[in-house]
Amino acid sequence: MSEKKIFTAVGEKEITRTIVSRFAEQFCEYVENDCIIIGAGPAGLMAGKELAKHNLKVFIIERNNYLGGGFWIGGYLMNKITVREPGQEILHELGVPFEKVSNGLYVTDGPHVCSKLIAATCDAGVKFANMTVFDDVVLREKNRVNGVVINWTPIKALPREITCVDPVALEAKMVIDASGHDACVVKKLEERGLLKTQGFGAMWVEVSEDLVVEHTGEVHPGLIVAGMAVATTYGLPRMGPTFGAMLLSGKKAAEVVLEKLKKK
Amino acid sequence: MAKINAPSIFYLYDGSKTETFKIKEVGQYLKTIFKRSKIKIRQEFVFYHLSYLSSVEKKNKIDELSQKFALVKIRGVKNKGFYSDFLPGEVEYEKKRILNPENKSYGVVYDGFKLRANLAELIPKSESNLQYSHIIFTNQLFATWDESDKRYHLRVSIYGFPSIISTTGIVEAPAKPRVFYLKQQLGVDRITLKKEFAGRFIDYNDPRLTEVIKGYTLQAIFYQMGENPFCNDKNCRLYNAHWQEEVIQAQLNSPYELCQTHKHLLNELG
Repeated sequence: MSEKKIFTAVGEKEITRTIVSRFAEQFCEYVENDCIIIGAGPAGLMAGKELAKHNLKVFIIERNNYLGGGFWIGGYLMNKITVREPGQEILHELGVPFEKVSNGLYVTDGPHVCSKLIAATCDAGVKFANMTVFDDVVLREKNRVNGVVINWTPIKALPREITCVDPVALEAKMVIDASGHDACVVKKLEERGLLKTQGFGAMWVEVSEDLVVEHTGEVHPGLIVAGMAVATTYGLPRMGPTFGAMLLSGKKAAEVVLEKLKKK
Repeated sequence: MAKINAPSIFYLYDGSKTETFKIKEVGQYLKTIFKRSKIKIRQEFVFYHLSYLSSVEKKNKIDELSQKFALVKIRGVKNKGFYSDFLPGEVEYEKKRILNPENKSYGVVYDGFKLRANLAELIPKSESNLQYSHIIFTNQLFATWDESDKRYHLRVSIYGFPSIISTTGIVEAPAKPRVFYLKQQLGVDRITLKKEFAGRFIDYNDPRLTEVIKGYTLQAIFYQMGENPFCNDKNCRLYNAHWQEEVIQAQLNSPYELCQTHKHLLNELG
């Protein structure tokens, strides 16, 4: 008597074809987008989730294999995430248990909140290209940002003589730079002489969360800056390890994109 | 000793946006010292002075000021230079602050002297003489360049016409105990550190804030009266504190308000 197998017999070639075809199908579809977000940290995920809820076609580029950026852990590699009021409202929206520590300060578990945010972003309909690095911007008339040029992350990690692989371009009506302190899209525009970041930011001042949210917005035609990239762009003081501003900045970036697209 | 003249009117501008800062108490304190002077409390400085302009003038002035404020942001702790241009978002931020004086955000650091120069333009000619003292309380942060070590240092106050006193500067500018920073460098989080060092520095929303600011207000007035605003006596309210523990000693724990010299100067007010 033959032993009953748990899984259906499927050949390797069929599995490979599925991976390739589905990836290619999705990639082709997302060559043209309403919004491309660089960076799948808390700000980028939040922005993506909010935009996708409004039926926008959103593609997030993430250089790492994992999504979530620094949202898995709080300060000093300790996986407790703190937010200041009103950041806890987003924890509530995500359905994550959290605890009030003191007046205006809340704490939750990094793995729980980060995985919930990733799931909510996926549920909203956002698609991702992970292990993918931002390489350059696509510029159109009057130097408006109209997309991004990307490549595989491993290409960047190997010597140029081995990996002389040209990148590819994706188009988008709007681009959000949520790449954290690197602010890689903004820096690329700076390299091209199209804008100048404002330096500073190193002096420790306790709170700059409000500033990050308030400065979130269009920094160059077609380019919105969100999250810690805001601090780099505008030279705002660095913050401590609380994430409320990242979440709210992402939300505000989405609002700005919606407003801009409505005007277009 | 020659008599010194106090201003006839002190205008105190309420822009600290800090619940624990009670500007009326500062006014009452000044009244006990400058009995012949009037103390008037006004709204946030920029908002107050713009309110006297026509709507067209006001709009133009807001556009002008928001650009000027954006241009006097410090670009680096060790960078004395200023940019001749700015990002649109910086100007928008300044505009929002001007239009909404209740906006509590802070953290941008300005060059203190340039900031004061921008603010001074708003004082009407009729109030631009030493009979008047304009003292601005703000939650903005500012720093001044120090040639001796070629870097900017955060300041609590910039004295002059007008004088600016920062209620966030009092938290951020004077240094906390050395061990606080050592532990911070070792990765101890700020919440834990704040608990450990509670009481040894002035914190945000600190109930002691008003009392501390009284001393800085006196320093501003001494400066305007042509006297040295700073004293070498660590127990005098005019002591130029560089450490939080010195601030607490001079403003809160001292056995007396002012040293004999400064007490005498105030007794001799013309």
